[in-house]
Amino acid sequence: MTESIRVMVVDDHPMWRDAVERDLSAAGFDVVAVAADGHQAVARFPAARPQVVVLDLQIPGPNGVEVTAQVLSYDPSARVLILSASGEQTDVLEAVKAGATGYLVKSASRDELVDAVRRVAAGDTVFTAGLAGLVLGEFRRMAEGPADDPRDELTDRETEILKMVAKGMGYRQIADRLVISHRTVQNHVQNTLRKLQMNNRVQLTRWAIEHGLDDDEA
Amino acid sequence: MVAWTGFAIWTCARAERRTTLFFVVDLAWAAGTIAATSLVKGPDFNATIPGFWVMGALLAWAVHWHWKGGLAAAALLSATDLVFRDNIDQANYGNVFLLMIGGPIVGYMCESLQRMADERDAAERAAAAAEERTRLARAVHDGVLQVLALVQRRGAEAGSEHPHLMELGQLAGAQERALRSLIRQQGTFQPDQTDRDLAGLLEELSSSHRVRVEVATPGAPVTVSAHVASEVSAAVASCLDNVATHVGPDAKAWVLLESLPEKVVVSVRDEGPGIRDGRLATAAAEGRLGVSESICGRIADLGGTATLETSAHGTEWELVIPR
Repeated sequence: MTESIRVMVVDDHPMWRDAVERDLSAAGFDVVAVAADGHQAVARFPAARPQVVVLDLQIPGPNGVEVTAQVLSYDPSARVLILSASGEQTDVLEAVKAGATGYLVKSASRDELVDAVRRVAAGDTVFTAGLAGLVLGEFRRMAEGPADDPRDELTDRETEILKMVAKGMGYRQIADRLVISHRTVQNHVQNTLRKLQMNNRVQLTRWAIEHGLDDDEA
Repeated sequence: MVAWTGFAIWTCARAERRTTLFFVVDLAWAAGTIAATSLVKGPDFNATIPGFWVMGALLAWAVHWHWKGGLAAAALLSATDLVFRDNIDQANYGNVFLLMIGGPIVGYMCESLQRMADERDAAERAAAAAEERTRLARAVHDGVLQVLALVQRRGAEAGSEHPHLMELGQLAGAQERALRSLIRQQGTFQPDQTDRDLAGLLEELSSSHRVRVEVATPGAPVTVSAHVASEVSAAVASCLDNVATHVGPDAKAWVLLESLPEKVVVSVRDEGPGIRDGRLATAAAEGRLGVSESICGRIADLGGTATLETSAHGTEWELVIPR
């Protein structure tokens, strides 16, 4: 099943690129392209058509956040898994707002990486506790913002589940604790990301309207 | 006088031409023209030849040698003026007074302006240097983090055959966590010590603790008073110590910091065997107040609550502190 998953690896450190490529190939993935910077990534993406892009955030050229946005606007069915060394918090949050559905720190083990790529390819979201905390914080900041801002807030259940993820619980543990199915937990987590991306788009549109960028006739 | 004015303007236009000799000659000219008045107009003159023209030399001294220069030039000009008059009236005293007060004040203001400009330049230089350092540090740190993470990963993979590589990998992992946490704290540094960023503090605490801790924060500084910050981090440290004691050295713990408008919530969770029912009460009854005192006591003193939830799945402390 994993043979069919096409992956692209983007990292400016050759040793990391090689290591990730080797691990993924060994696990049965088809590494169709590698790139050392943002330009290469955006240029090679259309030809290689990977299903999953394993992306380092700190790369030269257009950075990871921009690459995420460009790649997904070209092919919305592709999935982006962020593999970051420093865990720069704002960058991670921006990448997730831009549409990345997975985030892993580089100290994660090989098994964790392989599992994450597989899950992201299947449409799941891969959260770390740290990312869940950031997303939770972002929604709370939005809630404190101007009340007329059109936005999707989290439901109580979504907040509850996100909190549990932020405390390091796996989806299975959360499902057991709340007596709901694993799939339901997964759906709730996906919803939080979808709302975050939607709010981001709404904010961008608002910004564009306020700054008169919608004036086509001008 | 007109020629000298032209010459003075030309001289002062360039920094290297503004020599001590020029200023001395300039002032001497001014004093000389006053002195020459009695020869030209007779001893009972009313207005001096240069009149207010002497202000030029006075201000030049004030600008160049600050209040001392202004004072010296004013004193010389006033003395010259008074010496060559045969009768001194109210208006002359007034002018002398203005000279004597104006010279030093203009000089003093020049000095302050110059000092402020110097300070501003120094601050700008320091800010530019700090920014460049941060930029470099990001690049350097990122490279170091990558290598540490790679060593950790390879060490874990080779661990079954080479235990020493495993150990190396674990050391690299510990350093990687410490450095990553340090980088996050840098972003939240606040020079004002009356308020502290609890997020940075918890990162710092957790990276130095012997238990492996994963910290989740809202991604922005969570500012509380220094007292609250130190009490909360002490309570969290107690929670983590507890994890180390009861779950073991390989224990893993998670710390979640949430910032709400009216309160701050810190959760500390582990996946150990849990605390047996009534054990804390027994310990307290036996006079071992460790946990109750250092966690519950501290948080209660801040007007908050500390709740413990424990089961076979692990233990979770929730510390709620009002803002």
